[in-house]
Amino acid sequence: MSNSSFTYEQASQFTEHLQGPSGSAPDKPIARVPGQAAMWFFVVGDLWIFTCYFACYAYDRAQEPMAFLQGQLSLSQDLGAFNTVLLLTSSLLVALCLKATRKQQHTQARQLLLMGGTLGVCFLLIKAAEWYVKIEAGLPVMSGQFFIYYFMFTGLHFMHVSLGLVILTLVYLELKKATAGNLAMVEAGAVYWHMVDLLWIIIFALLYLM
Amino acid sequence: MNSAAVPASPGIDLSKPRMLSNPKLDQWICFWSIPVFYVLFGIIFVIFGRIMPPPTPAMATADIVAFMTSPYLSIAVVLLAMSLGIYALNSGLMLTQMKRMEGVSPVLRYGYIAVLGVGGLPGCLFPGYMFALGAFRPEYDAHIQVMLYELGFLCFVGSLGCFIIQYTLFAIAVFLDKRQLFPKWLAYFSIWTLVTELVAAPVFITQTGPFAWDGLLAFYQGTIIWVAWQTCLTFYLFKAIKEQPIEELGLPMRPNEL
Repeated sequence: MSNSSFTYEQASQFTEHLQGPSGSAPDKPIARVPGQAAMWFFVVGDLWIFTCYFACYAYDRAQEPMAFLQGQLSLSQDLGAFNTVLLLTSSLLVALCLKATRKQQHTQARQLLLMGGTLGVCFLLIKAAEWYVKIEAGLPVMSGQFFIYYFMFTGLHFMHVSLGLVILTLVYLELKKATAGNLAMVEAGAVYWHMVDLLWIIIFALLYLM
Repeated sequence: MNSAAVPASPGIDLSKPRMLSNPKLDQWICFWSIPVFYVLFGIIFVIFGRIMPPPTPAMATADIVAFMTSPYLSIAVVLLAMSLGIYALNSGLMLTQMKRMEGVSPVLRYGYIAVLGVGGLPGCLFPGYMFALGAFRPEYDAHIQVMLYELGFLCFVGSLGCFIIQYTLFAIAVFLDKRQLFPKWLAYFSIWTLVTELVAAPVFITQTGPFAWDGLLAFYQGTIIWVAWQTCLTFYLFKAIKEQPIEELGLPMRPNEL
Protein backbone atom coordinates (compact mmCIF):
# COMPACT_ATOMS: atom_id res chain seq x y z
CA MET A 1 0.00 0.00 0.00
CA SER A 2 2.62 2.47 1.01
CA ASN A 3 5.73 1.46 -0.86
CA SER A 4 4.45 2.41 -4.25
CA SER A 5 7.67 3.59 -5.87
CA PHE A 6 7.13 4.24 -9.50
CA THR A 7 9.67 3.88 -12.26
CA TYR A 8 10.23 6.33 -15.09
CA GLU A 9 9.16 3.85 -17.73
CA GLN A 10 5.81 3.50 -16.00
CA ALA A 11 5.63 7.26 -15.54
CA SER A 12 6.20 8.04 -19.18
CA GLN A 13 3.64 5.42 -20.18
CA PHE A 14 1.22 6.99 -17.75
CA THR A 15 1.86 10.50 -19.02
CA GLU A 16 1.37 9.26 -22.57
CA HIS A 17 -1.85 7.63 -21.48
CA LEU A 18 -3.08 10.90 -19.98
CA GLN A 19 -2.01 13.18 -22.79
CA GLY A 20 -3.21 10.87 -25.51
CA PRO A 21 -0.93 8.74 -27.62
CA SER A 22 1.51 10.32 -30.00
CA GLY A 23 1.08 7.38 -32.34
CA SER A 24 -1.25 4.58 -31.40
CA ALA A 25 -3.39 4.06 -28.31
CA PRO A 26 -1.60 2.45 -25.32
CA ASP A 27 -2.22 -1.27 -24.99
CA LYS A 28 -2.97 -1.29 -21.30
CA PRO A 29 -4.23 1.73 -19.41
CA ILE A 30 -2.34 2.11 -16.14
CA ALA A 31 -4.59 2.71 -13.17
CA ARG A 32 -2.76 4.07 -10.13
CA VAL A 33 -2.96 6.59 -7.35
CA PRO A 34 -0.50 9.47 -7.88
CA GLY A 35 2.00 9.61 -5.04
CA GLN A 36 1.45 7.33 -2.08
CA ALA A 37 -1.90 5.90 -1.05
CA ALA A 38 -0.99 6.63 2.59
CA MET A 39 -0.59 10.33 1.74
CA TRP A 40 -4.09 10.42 0.22
CA PHE A 41 -5.40 8.73 3.35
CA PHE A 42 -3.83 11.55 5.36
CA VAL A 43 -5.09 14.32 3.08
CA VAL A 44 -8.68 13.08 3.08
CA GLY A 45 -8.70 12.65 6.87
CA ASP A 46 -7.06 16.02 7.47
CA LEU A 47 -9.60 17.75 5.24
CA TRP A 48 -12.35 16.01 7.21
CA ILE A 49 -10.89 17.29 10.51
CA PHE A 50 -10.72 20.83 9.12
CA THR A 51 -14.29 20.52 7.83
CA CYS A 52 -15.35 19.97 11.46
CA TYR A 53 -13.46 23.13 12.47
CA PHE A 54 -15.06 25.16 9.70
CA ALA A 55 -18.53 23.88 10.58
CA CYS A 56 -18.00 24.93 14.22
CA TYR A 57 -16.78 28.34 13.06
CA ALA A 58 -19.83 28.82 10.82
CA TYR A 59 -22.13 27.84 13.70
CA ASP A 60 -20.47 30.20 16.20
CA ARG A 61 -20.38 33.01 13.66
CA ALA A 62 -24.13 32.68 13.18
CA GLN A 63 -24.57 33.03 16.97
CA GLU A 64 -22.84 36.40 17.23
CA PRO A 65 -22.43 37.79 13.70
CA MET A 66 -21.64 41.36 14.82
CA ALA A 67 -18.74 40.40 17.09
CA PHE A 68 -17.27 38.20 14.35
CA LEU A 69 -17.69 40.91 11.75
CA GLN A 70 -15.92 43.39 13.98
CA GLY A 71 -13.01 40.98 14.39
CA GLN A 72 -12.88 40.34 10.65
CA LEU A 73 -12.75 44.05 9.90
CA SER A 74 -9.64 44.40 12.05
CA LEU A 75 -7.73 41.93 9.83
CA SER A 76 -5.74 43.18 6.87
CA GLN A 77 -7.40 41.84 3.73
CA ASP A 78 -4.50 43.06 1.59
CA LEU A 79 -1.97 41.06 3.56
CA GLY A 80 -4.25 38.02 3.47
CA ALA A 81 -4.74 38.35 -0.28
CA PHE A 82 -0.99 38.79 -0.82
CA ASN A 83 -0.33 35.60 1.17
CA THR A 84 -2.95 33.78 -0.94
CA VAL A 85 -1.17 34.82 -4.13
CA LEU A 86 2.16 33.69 -2.64
CA LEU A 87 0.83 30.26 -1.75
CA LEU A 88 -1.00 29.79 -5.07
CA THR A 89 2.16 30.70 -6.99
CA SER A 90 4.14 28.33 -4.80
CA SER A 91 1.66 25.55 -5.60
CA LEU A 92 1.98 26.27 -9.31
CA LEU A 93 5.78 26.06 -9.06
CA VAL A 94 5.54 22.71 -7.26
CA ALA A 95 3.14 21.43 -9.96
CA LEU A 96 5.63 22.55 -12.65
CA CYS A 97 8.39 20.82 -10.68
CA LEU A 98 6.41 17.58 -10.84
CA LYS A 99 5.95 18.04 -14.57
CA ALA A 100 9.69 18.58 -15.02
CA THR A 101 10.42 15.49 -12.89
CA ARG A 102 8.18 13.36 -15.09
CA LYS A 103 10.23 14.57 -18.07
CA GLN A 104 13.40 13.74 -16.10
CA GLN A 105 14.58 17.37 -16.16
CA HIS A 106 15.90 17.16 -12.64
CA THR A 107 17.91 20.37 -12.53
CA GLN A 108 14.92 22.40 -13.62
CA ALA A 109 12.68 20.48 -11.22
CA ARG A 110 14.99 21.32 -8.32
CA GLN A 111 15.05 25.01 -9.22
CA LEU A 112 11.25 25.15 -9.41
CA LEU A 113 10.94 23.34 -6.09
CA LEU A 114 13.40 25.72 -4.47
CA MET A 115 11.41 28.73 -5.68
CA GLY A 116 8.16 27.13 -4.49
CA GLY A 117 9.67 26.43 -1.06
CA THR A 118 11.04 29.97 -0.78
CA LEU A 119 7.56 31.37 -1.35
CA GLY A 120 6.33 29.02 1.39
CA VAL A 121 8.92 30.50 3.78
CA CYS A 122 7.81 34.04 2.79
CA PHE A 123 4.23 33.03 3.59
CA LEU A 124 5.28 31.97 7.09
CA LEU A 125 7.25 35.17 7.70
CA ILE A 126 4.31 37.36 6.67
CA LYS A 127 1.96 35.32 8.84
CA ALA A 128 4.31 35.69 11.83
CA ALA A 129 4.53 39.46 11.22
CA GLU A 130 0.73 39.65 11.10
CA TRP A 131 0.51 37.86 14.45
CA TYR A 132 3.16 40.13 15.93
CA VAL A 133 1.20 43.26 14.98
CA LYS A 134 -1.99 41.78 16.46
CA ILE A 135 -0.32 40.77 19.74
CA GLU A 136 1.47 44.14 20.05
CA ALA A 137 -1.90 45.87 19.82
CA GLY A 138 -3.04 43.95 22.94
CA LEU A 139 -3.60 40.21 23.26
CA PRO A 140 -6.75 39.84 21.17
CA VAL A 141 -7.42 36.19 22.08
CA MET A 142 -8.85 37.43 25.35
CA SER A 143 -11.36 39.61 23.54
CA GLY A 144 -13.69 37.05 22.06
CA GLN A 145 -14.34 33.90 20.13
CA PHE A 146 -13.33 35.27 16.72
CA PHE A 147 -9.68 35.71 17.63
CA ILE A 148 -9.48 32.26 19.18
CA TYR A 149 -10.63 30.91 15.81
CA TYR A 150 -8.24 33.26 14.00
CA PHE A 151 -5.17 32.14 15.96
CA MET A 152 -6.26 28.50 15.97
CA PHE A 153 -6.89 28.24 12.22
CA THR A 154 -3.88 30.29 11.14
CA GLY A 155 -1.71 28.51 13.75
CA LEU A 156 -2.73 25.03 12.61
CA HIS A 157 -2.23 26.10 9.01
CA PHE A 158 1.20 27.52 9.93
CA MET A 159 2.07 24.11 11.36
CA HIS A 160 0.90 22.42 8.15
CA VAL A 161 3.00 24.77 6.01
CA SER A 162 6.06 24.10 8.21
CA LEU A 163 5.52 20.34 7.84
CA GLY A 164 5.09 20.91 4.11
CA LEU A 165 8.46 22.66 3.95
CA VAL A 166 10.07 19.65 5.66
CA ILE A 167 8.42 17.37 3.07
CA LEU A 168 9.56 19.63 0.18
CA THR A 169 13.12 19.52 1.59
CA LEU A 170 12.97 15.70 1.54
CA VAL A 171 11.67 15.83 -2.04
CA TYR A 172 14.52 18.21 -2.96
CA LEU A 173 17.08 15.79 -1.51
CA GLU A 174 15.43 12.96 -3.44
CA LEU A 175 15.70 14.96 -6.68
CA LYS A 176 19.36 15.65 -5.95
CA LYS A 177 20.18 11.95 -6.00
CA ALA A 178 21.69 10.93 -9.31
CA THR A 179 19.24 8.08 -9.67
CA ALA A 180 16.21 10.03 -8.44
CA GLY A 181 14.12 6.89 -8.65
CA ASN A 182 11.15 7.78 -6.55
CA LEU A 183 8.66 9.77 -8.56
CA ALA A 184 5.93 8.73 -6.11
CA MET A 185 7.66 10.77 -3.42
CA VAL A 186 7.66 13.94 -5.54
CA GLU A 187 3.98 13.35 -6.28
CA ALA A 188 3.16 12.76 -2.61
CA GLY A 189 4.94 16.02 -1.70
CA ALA A 190 2.98 17.91 -4.36
CA VAL A 191 -0.31 16.38 -3.13
CA TYR A 192 0.42 17.56 0.41
CA TRP A 193 1.45 21.04 -0.73
CA HIS A 194 -1.76 21.45 -2.73
CA MET A 195 -3.78 20.42 0.34
CA VAL A 196 -2.05 23.16 2.36
CA ASP A 197 -2.96 25.59 -0.42
CA LEU A 198 -6.59 24.45 -0.50
CA LEU A 199 -6.89 24.81 3.28
CA TRP A 200 -5.52 28.33 3.15
CA ILE A 201 -8.01 29.40 0.47
CA ILE A 202 -10.88 28.24 2.71
CA ILE A 203 -9.36 29.84 5.82
CA PHE A 204 -8.77 33.09 3.93
CA ALA A 205 -12.36 33.14 2.68
CA LEU A 206 -13.80 32.33 6.13
CA LEU A 207 -11.68 34.63 8.27
CA TYR A 208 -10.86 37.56 5.99
CA LEU A 209 -13.66 37.78 3.45
CA MET A 210 -16.92 36.24 4.68
CA MET B 1 -3.63 -16.06 21.59
CA ASN B 2 -0.44 -17.22 20.04
CA SER B 3 0.59 -20.04 17.83
CA ALA B 4 4.19 -20.00 19.00
CA ALA B 5 4.14 -23.40 20.67
CA VAL B 6 5.72 -25.24 17.77
CA PRO B 7 7.63 -28.07 19.49
CA ALA B 8 10.96 -27.74 17.70
CA SER B 9 11.19 -23.93 17.80
CA PRO B 10 14.15 -22.55 19.66
CA GLY B 11 13.44 -20.66 22.85
CA ILE B 12 10.60 -22.95 23.95
CA ASP B 13 10.97 -24.88 27.15
CA LEU B 14 9.07 -28.15 26.79
CA SER B 15 9.33 -28.99 30.45
CA LYS B 16 6.91 -26.20 31.34
CA PRO B 17 3.15 -25.98 30.69
CA ARG B 18 2.22 -24.74 27.24
CA MET B 19 1.35 -21.20 28.31
CA LEU B 20 4.45 -20.67 30.45
CA SER B 21 6.71 -22.06 27.76
CA ASN B 22 5.59 -19.35 25.36
CA PRO B 23 8.76 -17.37 24.65
CA LYS B 24 6.75 -14.19 24.14
CA LEU B 25 4.90 -14.54 27.44
CA ASP B 26 6.45 -11.33 28.80
CA GLN B 27 5.29 -9.35 25.78
CA TRP B 28 1.82 -10.85 25.85
CA ILE B 29 1.41 -9.97 29.53
CA CYS B 30 2.40 -6.39 28.72
CA PHE B 31 0.09 -6.38 25.72
CA TRP B 32 -2.98 -7.52 27.67
CA SER B 33 -2.22 -4.92 30.31
CA ILE B 34 -3.31 -2.33 27.72
CA PRO B 35 -7.03 -3.28 27.66
CA VAL B 36 -6.89 -3.81 31.43
CA PHE B 37 -5.49 -0.29 31.86
CA TYR B 38 -8.08 1.32 29.61
CA VAL B 39 -10.97 -0.53 31.27
CA LEU B 40 -9.68 0.77 34.63
CA PHE B 41 -9.24 4.19 33.03
CA GLY B 42 -12.91 4.08 31.97
CA ILE B 43 -14.08 2.97 35.43
CA ILE B 44 -12.05 5.74 37.11
CA PHE B 45 -12.68 8.66 34.76
CA VAL B 46 -16.12 7.88 33.34
CA ILE B 47 -18.05 5.85 35.93
CA PHE B 48 -16.66 6.94 39.32
CA GLY B 49 -14.99 10.28 38.71
CA ARG B 50 -17.46 11.67 36.11
CA ILE B 51 -14.37 13.47 34.80
CA MET B 52 -15.02 12.21 31.26
CA PRO B 53 -16.94 13.61 29.51
CA PRO B 54 -15.95 16.71 31.46
CA PRO B 55 -18.52 18.93 33.17
CA THR B 56 -18.69 22.52 31.99
CA PRO B 57 -16.05 25.04 33.20
CA ALA B 58 -18.83 27.58 33.66
CA MET B 59 -20.53 25.55 36.43
CA ALA B 60 -21.97 27.36 39.48
CA THR B 61 -19.75 27.37 42.60
CA ALA B 62 -22.19 25.21 44.60
CA ASP B 63 -22.20 22.57 41.83
CA ILE B 64 -18.40 22.60 41.69
CA VAL B 65 -18.18 22.01 45.43
CA ALA B 66 -20.72 19.16 45.12
CA PHE B 67 -18.66 17.67 42.28
CA MET B 68 -15.37 17.94 44.15
CA THR B 69 -16.68 16.50 47.42
CA SER B 70 -18.54 13.60 45.83
CA PRO B 71 -17.58 10.28 47.51
CA TYR B 72 -17.37 8.67 44.07
CA LEU B 73 -14.64 11.13 43.05
CA SER B 74 -12.61 10.11 46.10
CA ILE B 75 -12.94 6.43 45.09
CA ALA B 76 -11.84 7.36 41.57
CA VAL B 77 -8.69 9.20 42.67
CA VAL B 78 -7.66 6.38 45.00
CA LEU B 79 -8.05 3.86 42.15
CA LEU B 80 -6.10 6.18 39.87
CA ALA B 81 -3.21 6.57 42.30
CA MET B 82 -2.97 2.79 42.60
CA SER B 83 -3.31 1.81 38.96
CA LEU B 84 -1.66 4.51 36.85
CA GLY B 85 1.66 2.64 36.88
CA ILE B 86 0.17 -0.20 34.82
CA TYR B 87 0.74 2.02 31.80
CA ALA B 88 4.48 1.47 32.21
CA LEU B 89 4.01 -2.10 30.88
CA ASN B 90 2.61 -0.67 27.66
CA SER B 91 5.57 1.72 27.39
CA GLY B 92 8.02 -1.14 27.90
CA LEU B 93 6.31 -3.09 25.13
CA MET B 94 6.46 -0.11 22.76
CA LEU B 95 10.17 0.24 23.47
CA THR B 96 10.72 -3.46 22.77
CA GLN B 97 8.87 -3.32 19.47
CA MET B 98 10.31 0.03 18.35
CA LYS B 99 13.74 -1.51 18.90
CA ARG B 100 12.96 -3.90 16.05
CA MET B 101 12.55 -1.07 13.57
CA GLU B 102 15.32 -0.85 10.99
CA GLY B 103 17.14 2.35 10.08
CA VAL B 104 15.58 4.25 13.00
CA SER B 105 17.81 6.02 15.50
CA PRO B 106 17.44 4.77 19.10
CA VAL B 107 17.01 8.42 20.14
CA LEU B 108 13.44 8.30 18.81
CA ARG B 109 12.34 5.36 20.94
CA TYR B 110 14.05 6.64 24.08
CA GLY B 111 12.50 10.05 23.47
CA TYR B 112 9.11 8.40 22.96
CA ILE B 113 9.26 6.59 26.29
CA ALA B 114 10.66 9.58 28.20
CA VAL B 115 8.05 11.99 26.87
CA LEU B 116 5.27 9.52 27.63
CA GLY B 117 6.52 9.24 31.21
CA VAL B 118 6.72 13.00 31.62
CA GLY B 119 3.36 13.57 29.89
CA GLY B 120 1.62 11.22 32.31
CA LEU B 121 2.34 13.65 35.15
CA PRO B 122 0.35 16.71 34.01
CA GLY B 123 -2.07 14.61 31.95
CA CYS B 124 -3.10 12.14 34.64
CA LEU B 125 -1.33 12.37 37.97
CA PHE B 126 -1.62 16.13 38.65
CA PRO B 127 -5.38 16.19 37.97
CA GLY B 128 -5.67 13.10 40.16
CA TYR B 129 -4.03 14.91 43.08
CA MET B 130 -6.06 18.10 42.53
CA PHE B 131 -9.27 16.10 42.66
CA ALA B 132 -7.95 14.06 45.59
CA LEU B 133 -7.26 17.21 47.57
CA GLY B 134 -10.75 18.51 46.82
CA ALA B 135 -12.40 15.17 47.63
CA PHE B 136 -10.56 14.59 50.93
CA ARG B 137 -10.69 18.18 52.23
CA PRO B 138 -14.40 19.01 52.15
CA GLU B 139 -13.75 21.68 54.79
CA TYR B 140 -11.87 23.82 52.23
CA ASP B 141 -13.35 27.15 51.26
CA ALA B 142 -15.54 27.06 48.11
CA HIS B 143 -13.06 29.31 46.24
CA ILE B 144 -10.24 26.85 46.87
CA GLN B 145 -12.43 24.02 45.62
CA VAL B 146 -13.14 26.02 42.45
CA MET B 147 -9.39 26.55 41.95
CA LEU B 148 -8.66 22.85 42.41
CA TYR B 149 -11.48 22.01 39.98
CA GLU B 150 -10.08 24.35 37.35
CA LEU B 151 -6.48 23.26 37.87
CA GLY B 152 -7.52 19.62 37.65
CA PHE B 153 -9.35 20.00 34.36
CA LEU B 154 -6.83 22.39 32.81
CA CYS B 155 -4.09 19.83 33.49
CA PHE B 156 -6.24 16.96 32.28
CA VAL B 157 -7.39 18.47 28.97
CA GLY B 158 -4.75 21.16 28.44
CA SER B 159 -1.52 19.16 28.84
CA LEU B 160 -0.49 19.09 25.21
CA GLY B 161 3.25 19.54 24.83
CA CYS B 162 4.47 16.08 25.76
CA PHE B 163 1.84 14.17 23.83
CA ILE B 164 2.45 16.23 20.70
CA ILE B 165 6.12 15.21 20.80
CA GLN B 166 5.11 11.61 21.47
CA TYR B 167 2.98 11.50 18.28
CA THR B 168 5.70 13.26 16.28
CA LEU B 169 8.45 10.86 17.39
CA PHE B 170 6.25 7.86 16.63
CA ALA B 171 5.35 9.23 13.18
CA ILE B 172 9.02 9.89 12.30
CA ALA B 173 10.04 6.41 13.48
CA VAL B 174 7.32 4.75 11.37
CA PHE B 175 8.28 6.83 8.32
CA LEU B 176 11.95 5.86 8.65
CA ASP B 177 11.39 2.20 9.50
CA LYS B 178 12.58 0.11 6.55
CA ARG B 179 10.97 -2.95 8.04
CA GLN B 180 7.50 -1.39 8.09
CA LEU B 181 6.45 -2.87 11.44
CA PHE B 182 3.66 -0.31 11.52
CA PRO B 183 1.90 0.88 8.33
CA LYS B 184 2.76 4.33 7.03
CA TRP B 185 -0.84 5.49 7.26
CA LEU B 186 -0.61 5.03 11.04
CA ALA B 187 2.17 7.63 11.01
CA TYR B 188 -0.13 10.03 9.17
CA PHE B 189 -2.87 9.13 11.65
CA SER B 190 -0.47 10.25 14.42
CA ILE B 191 -0.26 13.65 12.74
CA TRP B 192 -4.06 13.98 12.88
CA THR B 193 -3.91 13.09 16.56
CA LEU B 194 -1.27 15.78 16.98
CA VAL B 195 -3.39 18.38 15.17
CA THR B 196 -6.54 17.59 17.15
CA GLU B 197 -4.52 17.68 20.39
CA LEU B 198 -3.21 21.16 19.55
CA VAL B 199 -6.76 22.45 19.32
CA ALA B 200 -7.11 21.99 23.09
CA ALA B 201 -4.69 24.91 23.67
CA PRO B 202 -7.43 27.57 24.11
CA VAL B 203 -8.96 25.75 27.12
CA PHE B 204 -6.97 28.18 29.27
CA ILE B 205 -8.74 31.15 27.72
CA THR B 206 -12.34 30.28 27.07
CA GLN B 207 -15.02 28.79 29.33
CA THR B 208 -17.76 28.22 26.77
CA GLY B 209 -18.04 27.11 23.17
CA PRO B 210 -16.07 24.54 21.17
CA PHE B 211 -12.68 25.51 22.65
CA ALA B 212 -13.70 25.16 26.31
CA TRP B 213 -12.43 22.03 28.08
CA ASP B 214 -15.81 20.34 27.52
CA GLY B 215 -15.99 21.70 23.97
CA LEU B 216 -16.71 19.91 20.71
CA LEU B 217 -13.24 20.66 19.31
CA ALA B 218 -11.07 20.86 22.42
CA PHE B 219 -12.40 17.65 23.95
CA TYR B 220 -14.74 15.51 21.84
CA GLN B 221 -13.04 15.59 18.45
CA GLY B 222 -9.57 15.10 19.93
CA THR B 223 -10.77 12.25 22.12
CA ILE B 224 -12.52 10.44 19.25
CA ILE B 225 -9.41 10.67 17.04
CA TRP B 226 -7.16 9.61 19.93
CA VAL B 227 -9.33 6.56 20.75
CA ALA B 228 -9.28 5.52 17.07
CA TRP B 229 -5.48 6.02 16.94
CA GLN B 230 -4.90 4.07 20.15
CA THR B 231 -7.11 1.22 18.86
CA CYS B 232 -5.17 1.01 15.57
CA LEU B 233 -1.83 1.20 17.41
CA THR B 234 -2.88 -1.62 19.78
CA PHE B 235 -3.99 -3.75 16.82
CA TYR B 236 -0.66 -3.30 15.02
CA LEU B 237 1.24 -3.89 18.25
CA PHE B 238 -0.59 -7.22 18.52
CA LYS B 239 0.37 -8.03 14.93
CA ALA B 240 3.99 -7.02 15.51
CA ILE B 241 4.35 -9.32 18.54
CA LYS B 242 2.59 -12.17 16.76
CA GLU B 243 4.81 -11.94 13.68
CA GLN B 244 8.07 -11.44 15.57
CA PRO B 245 10.35 -14.40 14.74
CA ILE B 246 11.31 -16.41 17.81
CA GLU B 247 15.00 -16.30 16.81
CA GLU B 248 14.85 -12.55 17.33
CA LEU B 249 13.94 -12.82 20.99
CA GLY B 250 17.51 -13.54 22.06
CA LEU B 251 16.56 -16.16 24.64
CA PRO B 252 19.19 -18.54 25.99
CA MET B 253 18.89 -22.00 24.46
CA ARG B 254 18.38 -25.03 26.64
CA PRO B 255 19.85 -28.43 25.70
CA ASN B 256 16.49 -29.93 24.72
CA GLU B 257 15.91 -27.12 22.24
CA LEU B 258 19.08 -27.58 20.23
